[in-house]
Amino acid sequence: MKSSLPTIPDTCAIPGTPLSDARAGIDACVHCGFCLQACPTYLTLEDENDSPRGRIVLMRALVDGSLPVDDGDVRTHIDRCLGCRACETACPSGVPYGHLLEATRATLTRVKPNPPVARLILFAFARPALLRLVMLGGRIARATRMSRLLSRLPGRFGFAMAMLESTRSAVKRARYVPRSDAERGTATLLTGCVMEGLFAPTNRATERALSANGYAMTATAGQRCCGALHAHAGDDEGARQLARANIAAFERSRADYIVVNAAGCGAMMKEYGQLLAGDAAWHERAAKLASRVRDVSELLAEAGPRPGGALPVKVTYDAPCHLLHAQRLATPPLRVLAAVPGLELVPLDGSEHCCGSAGIYNLIEPDVSDRVLAPKLANIAATRAPMVATGNPGCLMQIGAGLHRAGMTCRAVHPVDLLDASYAAQAAAERGS
Amino acid sequence: MTASTLPHADAALQARLAAIVGERRVLVRAGELRTYESDGLPGYHARPSIGVFPGTRDETIAVVRLLAELGMPFVPRGAGTGLSGGALAEGVVLLGLHRLTRIISIDAEDQRALVEPGVVNAALSRAAAPFGLHYAPDPSSQTACTIGGNVAENAGGPHCLKYGVTLNHVLALTALLPNGDVVTLGNADGECEGYDLLGAFIGSEGCFGVALDVTVRLARNPQAVRTLLADFSSLDAAAHAVSAIVAAGIVPAAMEMMDGPTIQAVEASIYAAGYPVDAAAILLIELDGAAAGIDADADRVAAFCREAGARGVRTASDPAERARLWQGRKKAFGAMGRISPHLVVQDAVVPRTKLPAMLAEIARVAAEYRVKVCNVFHAGDGNLHPNIGYDATSPDESARVHAAMAAIMQACVAAGGTITGEHGVGIDKLPYMDSLFSPATLGAMCALRDVFDPARRANPGKVVPMHSCREWHAAPSARS
Ligand SMILES: Cc1cc2nc3c(=O)[nH]c(=O)nc-3n(C[C@H](O)[C@H](O)[C@H](O)COP(=O)(O)OP(=O)(O)OC[C@H]3O[C@@H](n4cnc5c(N)ncnc54)[C@H](O)[C@@H]3O)c2cc1C
Ligand code: SF4
Ligand code: SF4
Repeated sequence: MKSSLPTIPDTCAIPGTPLSDARAGIDACVHCGFCLQACPTYLTLEDENDSPRGRIVLMRALVDGSLPVDDGDVRTHIDRCLGCRACETACPSGVPYGHLLEATRATLTRVKPNPPVARLILFAFARPALLRLVMLGGRIARATRMSRLLSRLPGRFGFAMAMLESTRSAVKRARYVPRSDAERGTATLLTGCVMEGLFAPTNRATERALSANGYAMTATAGQRCCGALHAHAGDDEGARQLARANIAAFERSRADYIVVNAAGCGAMMKEYGQLLAGDAAWHERAAKLASRVRDVSELLAEAGPRPGGALPVKVTYDAPCHLLHAQRLATPPLRVLAAVPGLELVPLDGSEHCCGSAGIYNLIEPDVSDRVLAPKLANIAATRAPMVATGNPGCLMQIGAGLHRAGMTCRAVHPVDLLDASYAAQAAAERGS
Repeated sequence: MTASTLPHADAALQARLAAIVGERRVLVRAGELRTYESDGLPGYHARPSIGVFPGTRDETIAVVRLLAELGMPFVPRGAGTGLSGGALAEGVVLLGLHRLTRIISIDAEDQRALVEPGVVNAALSRAAAPFGLHYAPDPSSQTACTIGGNVAENAGGPHCLKYGVTLNHVLALTALLPNGDVVTLGNADGECEGYDLLGAFIGSEGCFGVALDVTVRLARNPQAVRTLLADFSSLDAAAHAVSAIVAAGIVPAAMEMMDGPTIQAVEASIYAAGYPVDAAAILLIELDGAAAGIDADADRVAAFCREAGARGVRTASDPAERARLWQGRKKAFGAMGRISPHLVVQDAVVPRTKLPAMLAEIARVAAEYRVKVCNVFHAGDGNLHPNIGYDATSPDESARVHAAMAAIMQACVAAGGTITGEHGVGIDKLPYMDSLFSPATLGAMCALRDVFDPARRANPGKVVPMHSCREWHAAPSARS
């Protein structure tokens, strides 16, 4: 009987593209299927084309030329990927899926650009002055309660307004001045576009909490958007430009650590070396800078963190994908919460699954995003906790908007806000005694 | 009708299927069918003519009845983690069952569950956990593979050494025959009268029809568990330890062996388990049962390992470490993807006493054909899984790998073993069937198949070589 192992032709139909450069990563996939059940889009859409394994098959088909780069099905299924990278932490073979996805998108968008909404958002995020204006508009809409009113509108616009509405600070705390001995070195904050624009109180809380744990905080001028949105959407050149600007800015800072309180931005900056791998002039600088980047929870966990005053509240924790799967940080945020006396942590079912935010995904693929969010909201409701902690602005707004539109009273908060409130309570108690 | 005379998917069929399952659940374009061209055995590809993915039991029945009406062959598919190409559909309809994921009921008192075929193996154990129960068969692929696929392949796993394979844990099932009839096999409430058709269906690799729902036995979680990791400086010493433990009458829940290259691949992966990377072999041995006496047994097992030459034996200190040790084992196959771009795996069984000799033979074959063999396997029941990593773009290397695989298989058969322990025959092992079974036995298999699927429309061309069925039909003795 005829039988032989089939030989695979060693050809590349798309030489010189980012995807062809990433071929070794595709080859690492052994088609075992272990990633299927980790993938939110597969679980939601129930089609293997919307799974990591299926998408890698499509990528391979682009490389070997059996499917053309303008194939509509390829584009649909690649577009529907959340980029949550849960497949990476399930993959025994070490397939660098996040990198493959970015390379694929960079290759596909050269043939057919992203939809206008996406291009508009990326355009704005690459221009600091414009972005500041947009954020100011957002804050005005929020302060005048416009966002609350408009959040009742159906569809994406209403959802976007609910996202804005959910950025209203959920944690009340008294003012306090952290005492700091700076024994753990210096740190400078990536202030971030959305964080500084809509979550400024969380940025201040981050600075206070770090000071209180022995880090001397310094400011860095000239920093820009981290470029994550651009990289994820296939605008690799846009991402590289922003990365270079940030590298130059943060090189001027002498701080030991570049601290980030937005998981998505932290993941991007830790990967600057890879992003600029093909750029001889910048690669080394990028890698060096990346090695200084830490998530705020990492620095806090390293310091303990120092316990604060009592804050009797029930909290559940949802892991941001770019913290858990991209940065592989599972326990540091839990240690931050554990440092708050009186805080009762209730486990959240499916905490490791994406909430459907995924950068600008929730605005571009609203249907899938909503369907991914639904089980998350149900699981949060089941905990009966009045607060869900998560350390990424995208997740805060996606979950926050979902809760708001569902009429739930539960609020989404950054873990650092809770720690900071705990320190504030401690300071108040000390003042009182 | 055979696969080759099948009319290609036409718009009419597409429309009729879409009327049953919805338009989104019928796939026809090349781009969409690509991922359904292979299962867990990369390297083999077969393009289905059309893919249809029912979401309910009724839809499934309606689809199969439509295909019966049209006389069209089809191939059932679960999660596509099979390692023998069983779910490949060359030019025929692919019937995906992974959307049927309902756990219909869990009966904690009677320790059983009724599930749809697309339920993932590990999801069933997770659902049973609150009752202190679990589903015992635990293939390494349990986080991905489906119960339907497990039934079709009679899947095993590390813990099948003590608890038995899928066959021992299925009480009854509802089969949707290829002609559209729905029949109950076995009896959920106890012994079944008459012929054991349930037993015949389990392991039928999708050739007897579709498992529509399955009643499985749930096992009580053991009172106590001890997981030991013994590390050896030679494969041979580890193999002797296995023999000594079994000879002493100890029945571990599981006894798994991994060789040096496998250990190194796992330790380089995200599932790094803390195995000693300089060991030539490790044994992962689990004992379970009543708390009384388990430590004494663990001590005896450790002593046998040391006597056989183990450099060290340690016991997992807590459930987290135990889980980590097992994760490393279960993800070993995937972890080998890092070593080479392509991978083949075999699934041979030899009598346990022949293990040391067989491992030596595998090493000799590997040297002769200049291929890299990694061994990771169920040592307790002599079920070997030699993996060969290679570069499939090199015709020379592919040829050597294929020759080495064939040599290993022949050696297993010569040692009184067989060619599949748990992965099934599919298409990958077809060439070996003739050397393993007499024409009369193969003929009997064809006859049994004809009972369930006389038109041979379900999973055509798999398991039993086509020619042996033709020969059997042609033989006058078979017709009288
Ligand atoms: C990394 C890895 C490790 C593995 N480890 C083990 C192991 O330890 N033990 C083991 O036994 N196997 C193992 N396997 C093999 C594989 O996971 C099993 O054979 C599993 O039972 C296949 O299930 P599936 O749902 O993926 O089925 P598929 O691969 O989709 O199909 C397998 C066969 O079942 C048929 N089938 C599927 N569903 C149905 C149904 N509802 N009704 C009728 N027929 C159906 C198909 O036609 C096909 O012939 C492993 C595979 C991988 C990739
Ligand atoms: S788990 Fe990794 S190797 Fe396995 S199919 Fe998914 S991506 Fe491929
Ligand atoms: S990144 Fe997330 S959505 Fe995309 S394939 Fe991986 S697990 Fe699925």
